[in-house]
Amino acid sequence: MAGKVEESERFVFNGKIDIPNKYSAGTVGSQFLIELRDNKKIIGIKCPICSQVYVPPRSTCKYCFGKLSDLVKVSNKGTLLTYAVAYQPSPIQPVEPPIAYGIVQLDGANTGFVHMLGEVDPAKLKVGMRVKAVFKVKKERVASVKDIKYFKPLR
Amino acid sequence: MAEQPSQEYINVSYTMGRPYRWAAGKYLSKLYKEMRDHKKLVANRCPKCREFLWPPEMVCGRCKVRAGDKWVELSDKGTVVQYTYMVFPLWDPHKGERVAEEHPYATILLDDGMYVVSRLEERDKGKLKVGMRVQAVWKEEGRGHGLDEDILYFRTIEQ
Repeated sequence: MAGKVEESERFVFNGKIDIPNKYSAGTVGSQFLIELRDNKKIIGIKCPICSQVYVPPRSTCKYCFGKLSDLVKVSNKGTLLTYAVAYQPSPIQPVEPPIAYGIVQLDGANTGFVHMLGEVDPAKLKVGMRVKAVFKVKKERVASVKDIKYFKPLR
Repeated sequence: MAEQPSQEYINVSYTMGRPYRWAAGKYLSKLYKEMRDHKKLVANRCPKCREFLWPPEMVCGRCKVRAGDKWVELSDKGTVVQYTYMVFPLWDPHKGERVAEEHPYATILLDDGMYVVSRLEERDKGKLKVGMRVQAVWKEEGRGHGLDEDILYFRTIEQ
């Protein structure tokens, strides 16, 4: 039974832990996702006191803490506030790299909306450029924020 | 009549993968390899205090000396010291699957003085006893994946 352990005999195991998660999008969050799925429309919510328009909608104003219920339609077009490009592949990323993530302020909204940018060379991205939402086809839309494929530059 | 929900509510489901790699190291790998290839349990022992190191280790925890490569084959018979009956399907982190079937799970004191945790073949709860004698039943084709992989279960034996 004596004998040395060779280098090649060492075991390395691959762990395969997957953590399944589920959360409720809530009242206004659900309406936002349903609107994406059914009508290809992006909706926000307006605070009647301070006139902030939140996209995606939330049920409480973060400035005046008022309860929000005034859903408003915002444009599918917007302005790129900032962006980042990810080159490292990772199982938590929604698509294959390189992925350009952008924060887009849609016309009619006061807040930035985080999504991916597509149909664009990452080197040509510019803060302040005009972008437009590209939706998936009807049968692929499942009331997820990924029903928007990405935002592409307006030419 | 039940109240109709005022609107459709969306549940967002997603799965978070947590990939990792785990190196068994030189000494634990030796045990796993012996289990996979020769269906044997092995341990090394401290050259100073002569204690078995289980699971095999590089350094003796008491004497702080290198244990070396003197391997000893162990008996695969033992005694059940405690057991439980698993009903809830736990996740297996190596396979990413749940262990769906109910099974008894026991700590077994091997005849050479080491503890192993493994399944038992005996599924009749009335026949499970602390102190029962068991022997390892090996899988035909081991995968070199630790006790759960190469030992199918422990079977009740007459002494």
